[in-house]
Amino acid sequence: MGRKILLVGTALALTPLPAMAQGNNEITIVLNEEVDLMEPCMATRSNIGRVVMQNINETLTELDVQGDEGLMPRLAESWEDMGEGTWRFHLRQGVTFSDGSTFDAEDVKYSFERAFSDQITCESPRYFADTDLSFEVVDEHTIDITAAPVQPILPLLMTLVTIVPSDTPVEFVREPIGTGPYVLSEWNVGQNIILERRDDYWGEAPEVTKATYVVRGEAAVRAAMVETGEADIAPTISDVDADNPETDFAYPNSETLYLRLDHSMEPLNDVRVRRALNMAIDREAFIGTLMPEGTEIAVAMVPPTTLGWNDEIEPIAFDPEGASALLEEARADGVKVDTQIQLVGRTNNYPNVTEVMEALGAMLTDVGFNIDLQMYEVAEFENLYSKPFPENRPPQMLAALHDNSRGDPVFSMYFKYHTDGTQSGFSDPHVDELIAEATAAAGEEREALWSELFAYLYEEKVADVMLFHMVGLARVAEHIDWRPTIATNSQLQLSEISFK
Amino acid sequence: MIRLIRQRTIASFISLIGLIVLVFFLSRLTGDPTDLFLPIDATQEMRDQFRRLHGFDRPLIEQFGAYVWDLLHLDFGDSIRRAQPAIWVVLNAFVWTLQLALITMTLVTVCAIVVGSLAAFRAGGFFDRAASLVSLIGASAPDFWIAIVAIVLFSVQLAWLPTSGTGTVLHWILPIAVLFIRPFGLLVQVVRGSMLSALSSAYVKTARAKGVKNFPLIFVHTLRNAMLPVITVMGDQAAALLNGAVVIESIFGFPGVGKLMIDSILQRDFNVVLASIMVTAIAIFIMNLLIDMAYAVLDPRIRY
Repeated sequence: MGRKILLVGTALALTPLPAMAQGNNEITIVLNEEVDLMEPCMATRSNIGRVVMQNINETLTELDVQGDEGLMPRLAESWEDMGEGTWRFHLRQGVTFSDGSTFDAEDVKYSFERAFSDQITCESPRYFADTDLSFEVVDEHTIDITAAPVQPILPLLMTLVTIVPSDTPVEFVREPIGTGPYVLSEWNVGQNIILERRDDYWGEAPEVTKATYVVRGEAAVRAAMVETGEADIAPTISDVDADNPETDFAYPNSETLYLRLDHSMEPLNDVRVRRALNMAIDREAFIGTLMPEGTEIAVAMVPPTTLGWNDEIEPIAFDPEGASALLEEARADGVKVDTQIQLVGRTNNYPNVTEVMEALGAMLTDVGFNIDLQMYEVAEFENLYSKPFPENRPPQMLAALHDNSRGDPVFSMYFKYHTDGTQSGFSDPHVDELIAEATAAAGEEREALWSELFAYLYEEKVADVMLFHMVGLARVAEHIDWRPTIATNSQLQLSEISFK
Repeated sequence: MIRLIRQRTIASFISLIGLIVLVFFLSRLTGDPTDLFLPIDATQEMRDQFRRLHGFDRPLIEQFGAYVWDLLHLDFGDSIRRAQPAIWVVLNAFVWTLQLALITMTLVTVCAIVVGSLAAFRAGGFFDRAASLVSLIGASAPDFWIAIVAIVLFSVQLAWLPTSGTGTVLHWILPIAVLFIRPFGLLVQVVRGSMLSALSSAYVKTARAKGVKNFPLIFVHTLRNAMLPVITVMGDQAAALLNGAVVIESIFGFPGVGKLMIDSILQRDFNVVLASIMVTAIAIFIMNLLIDMAYAVLDPRIRY
């Protein structure tokens, strides 16, 4: 009986060999998160985007986040501002979808309608929250998109909506059809996803002919897979495993860690107390210890590659005596500085999160704060992070990560600092005004307004406790010519990979 | 026997209903999946639309009624995360878990019976001491540690086996070996203890006096009588494996039901949670039934 079961088991196990790494121009990429959907309209979600974005489905425009090319053409060859909120996009000709149909202006119109439909919960609409879009197909390869109110960064927003053929059903699909250089050839759920290069791609043919994606939850295993040659690229490994300078690279992953302060509560409503919180933390001490080398000290909510980045802001220096003195000054004015403040962290948010939270708590306690450290799992944490905030809550500081690799602060500032922002613990009429002005402005004016807002928030209001711009660590096999960048968190373009 | 099966089926069906009610309401107490599924800066309209599409805006009791109604039509609902029927997602994963559990338990049972019996035969001897030491270490070592060390040693250093994944027979060796260790250690101890008491009984002495050889004495006469407690413990261990070996599945990238269940709970993908609980519950019920039948086969004194 036992032998029979064993035989059956072995027979079941005898499935065909997987594509091994380092084959001729075939690569294997080992990811850390399960890919649960392959839906093009969800491609702005990082676990889906790393497979789908620009590999299978393309967008009208594309942002060069690491270089200084700015906004680049992709499916749109050029665009122009026609005034009164209308932008005209001239589409690339001779582009076909992987199902053989031809790409035209109707597909663009349909892709937006589908993503915005109320029959399906896509990610894209959130980037157009208060903007109404209307479309006018001028001819087969020209489309006018009108935004109300006027949207000066409409071409940038086009980087967030993937184009699908106009006969795609309005429900989540599992076999995405796109114009990209690759097509989904196999999806063995739980085992691997295989993309193959298309012969009829409109652009230059990429070097990689076939890419196999596998998922491993354990960082040590991902690192070991590249080391043994089972995989070629592991976009996220842990600091502990990154011990080989030939293959392991740190890259800014566009996430910023900060403590969100609740300004509606004493003592956090006092600017001296907020400044003291900032001065009490020895940020340098974290880097190279609990945080990987390469982590940068943050002075704003967005990474330094974002429009309007303000070089002139000096980080608040570590000064425990100064922090204690500020607290005493506030106490003398009757501020209840001894009130217990809850410091809330999220379990599994990033490597060493528990140790980081404990160190932060200890540093704040050292200068005289009364800290109560709490760790919550993701669902409970989100309840505290987004409005409506719970009634009868104690004064809270939430350690949250915010990701913005989109190139413009508009994707962050409203949510985090506007009076009506979902995660804003803050309300200031001048800030609301600056956000509104910057959102409606274009060019240098926009840049200057964002700069002004960053300085005002950090230097005058001391709105939050800004901590770090985080880094990710990737392991890349030696024969692969590819380096992770700030874009790697949200997309991994196979066409950028070549062989040495 | 038929009566046993009928009685057990009715009893299990009642507990299954209880389980569904409990899990349905308890899981919904922990919050709704809207905020987890949608991006943190989703608008209120998007949230309302998501709730409406998935029925989370309706009263709880109405949601339950709809769920039960669908269930009666063998519709387990769709997975929110995967946009696929929940039962399909679960059965796909369960096939892997079942294979892993079957192979591991077969190996564990065979090895533990041989090693445990031999250890009991010369109790206190070298083999017994060695077997006890190894099995105790096996029963107490944390499996996540063994798994990582095994990968570093056998895959990275020696390059004998692949680190993880599911492609070939070679891919199965490490996960099964790591899964094997703990139940093996436990079962060896149980077999040894049970054999020791059986070996001291009167019929064994009689057999010895008659001149029965050692091999048939242990494996034919004594073992059968010593099997009942072994089967009980084996059933426990097999049930644990059928629930999914979360640690092993995560480390070795095995698409089993354990990791699926944990992920679905964290994502509040209720239909998948319910479907996986039902599938594993039914599997464990069938296994318990088989164990009860095995009792009757091994010991004719047991009648149902």
